[in-house]
Amino acid sequence: MKRELFALTIVFLIFVAFPAALFGYQAQRTTTTGARVIALTANAPANGGWQPDAIRVNVGERVRLRIAAPDVVHGFAIPALDIYVDEILPGHVEEIEFVAARAGRYPFACTRWCSVDHWRMRGVIEVIDPGNPDPPLPTIAPPLYQQMNIDIDAPHPAQNVPAQRPSAARGARLDVSVPGDLRAQSPSNVFAELRGDPALKAYSDGQLWDVVAFAWKRASGDPASPGADSALARGSKLFVRDCAACHGETGKGNGPAGRNLPGLAAMQTDSRMAHGAYAKRGPADFTDAAQMLGASDVLLQGKVLRGGMGTGMPEWRTLYSDQDMWDLIGFIRSFVFDYGMSNAK
Amino acid sequence: MTMNRLELTQVPIVKKILVSRWLPWSLVALTLPVFVLAILAGLFGTPAGSRNFGIVFVWIVWWALVMLLLVPFAGRLWCAMCPIPAPGEWLQRRALVQPRAGGRLYTLGWKWPKRFNNIWLQNASFLAVALFCVVILTTPLVSALVLAAFALVALAMSLLFERRAFCRYLCPVGGFIGLYSQLAPVEVRVKDHALCATHKNKTCYVGSAAGYGCPWLVFPAALDKNTYCGMCTECFKTCPLDNLALYARPFGADLLTSRGRRLDEAYKAFIMLTCALAYSIVLLGPWSVLKETAYAVGSVEWWVYAASFFAANLAIVPGLFFACAWLARRIARAATSTRELFVAYAYALVPLGLAAWVAFSLSFVLVNSSYAWQVLSDPFGWGWNLFGTADWKWTPYLAGWIPLLQIPILLVGLAAAIALALRAARELRMPQRAALPIVAFCAAFTLAMLWLYV
Repeated sequence: MKRELFALTIVFLIFVAFPAALFGYQAQRTTTTGARVIALTANAPANGGWQPDAIRVNVGERVRLRIAAPDVVHGFAIPALDIYVDEILPGHVEEIEFVAARAGRYPFACTRWCSVDHWRMRGVIEVIDPGNPDPPLPTIAPPLYQQMNIDIDAPHPAQNVPAQRPSAARGARLDVSVPGDLRAQSPSNVFAELRGDPALKAYSDGQLWDVVAFAWKRASGDPASPGADSALARGSKLFVRDCAACHGETGKGNGPAGRNLPGLAAMQTDSRMAHGAYAKRGPADFTDAAQMLGASDVLLQGKVLRGGMGTGMPEWRTLYSDQDMWDLIGFIRSFVFDYGMSNAK
Repeated sequence: MTMNRLELTQVPIVKKILVSRWLPWSLVALTLPVFVLAILAGLFGTPAGSRNFGIVFVWIVWWALVMLLLVPFAGRLWCAMCPIPAPGEWLQRRALVQPRAGGRLYTLGWKWPKRFNNIWLQNASFLAVALFCVVILTTPLVSALVLAAFALVALAMSLLFERRAFCRYLCPVGGFIGLYSQLAPVEVRVKDHALCATHKNKTCYVGSAAGYGCPWLVFPAALDKNTYCGMCTECFKTCPLDNLALYARPFGADLLTSRGRRLDEAYKAFIMLTCALAYSIVLLGPWSVLKETAYAVGSVEWWVYAASFFAANLAIVPGLFFACAWLARRIARAATSTRELFVAYAYALVPLGLAAWVAFSLSFVLVNSSYAWQVLSDPFGWGWNLFGTADWKWTPYLAGWIPLLQIPILLVGLAAAIALALRAARELRMPQRAALPIVAFCAAFTLAMLWLYV
């Protein structure tokens, strides 16, 4: 009987005490570390995407995200909270801890091109203020292209195209200034205004295009402080991370992930598209001066923040700050304008 | 047939251990917490397989233990320590260690249906698990659910049927362990058959106050191969004549007897051989599309994969082997039926199959076993570091040696298969050349494995 009792005790310990000890240890560990541990699984969208894709935390709560990637390499970013995990290898777990100081909805996304549907891999962290769990929704100003009533789906061919790639460096050496806010104007229109100015009659077309290139480079950031933290460098980083897979490293619209975009096949055959200019096109070619120089920065911003265009282009409004957006557009201009960067083609 | 054997039970300590009622309970008490942890980690832990105890300890550590050590060297010893049937058996006995009421079992005691008194169901259950193996081996939750399902089915069968019906007739693992245990250099056998004949009570089969009747439904006196002996040691305890012994013997001794050869066992040999090749191609081969297809359960491509998998296991490989058996019959102008040759020769595939499985297992066990250190300290992938090993980096062990180990193992398996095929030809009173088609089949299989691994 003693033997039986001993064996029974051992079995009881295995089935009851052992699991209780495991979960008790985890509970105690969570309490003492003072962080709420949330397991987040990163699967490619075809395998379920983020699980969970919606997380609720309280303002001021210390949160430890444990992100596992069972299938392929993923990245993780909550841009609004400045949280980035560059790489989560398959079968590995990455941890990141944060405290959300303000209530709000913070989208998060995968930052690695994990699959064709990578851009669908998004989720949201909702930070709740327990004292005010249902605050009125903040009023969000409509984007500039809506305020200015710009149809971003309309064709925007450039009326003027330079014979050679305009150089910002050459433009800087010319004593010509371009007044006004450039964001609402296309480079082609600015060139036309300069060309129409009798005072600039002595300048060739090429020189005036150089002036335009310099004006855009100056508008995209502080040319006096180039370097890793410059607006163009930040834009370049965003481009490489989020755009290059479809638009190509060289901006020619020939990235590998752009070849099988959802909607592309339909777009290539659907003659009912509102604007024929887009027919038979995949991701935009940023080196195409005839298109790019006819678009204002506001128009480009509209395309980036809204996405769509029937190509599977994702929206970036929820992930990008205004600064991110302008940095990126500033960099995209460098595919047509020679800013003296290493991406010169 | 006489054979050189060494009676290990002559060593007093061995004898004492085997007759002790603490065996096999104490072995199960070691494996059960691992099993419980594997299920809990699968259910609640990280879905990243290489960071989950449930995946790493079941499909790498346990698999290595069984396939590289226990089966080749100790036969069905794993079955004695397997935690899956333990709860059911304890409920059936209403005891853990000491027998109650003269070995009586508390079960509805249904007899197992005669038509399933074979291992066809084990073949089917193994194929079912094998079909989904890519998902089971990599997804902790699925892995845990499958293990829990095994335990629940085993429990239910213990309450309904007599003895260990699950282990004997249904367990997908038990089938191949039984098949390959014929190669093991140990056996449990009676010492003197004549002495058994004089013992009227047959307590080894019906049980006594000292223990239970053979849970595996085997009459030890009739035991002439390891296939169905679970090494539970109950017969050591119930035999009042001290007529049971544990012997050390030459490798593969069971395959030297032609008695009791059956089609269901032959098919188990085909299935294991085919799966070793199929896994090597799908899991380790350079064709990632195959692995992705095997993972995409329910897709059109997966159904094609499933149909191909079943066709290869049940028709193509056995069909090719049947053609070889037919050719052997033609060469020998033998009166023996092709089916009889087909079954007899199939046992030559046992060492070849085990060699293939050892080679396959080496390729991923040595590469991935360093994950065990991480999950030992952090079984759920929750960020624990119990023993300070959670951050140990993945390190492939002996990676450069793997092909050097695989080649001789596969060649030894081929040599043993050829020897057994030639022996089968002699037993069937056929000329040695009648084994040539079978030899060619085995050689082609070995070459395919070598091509994949080297």
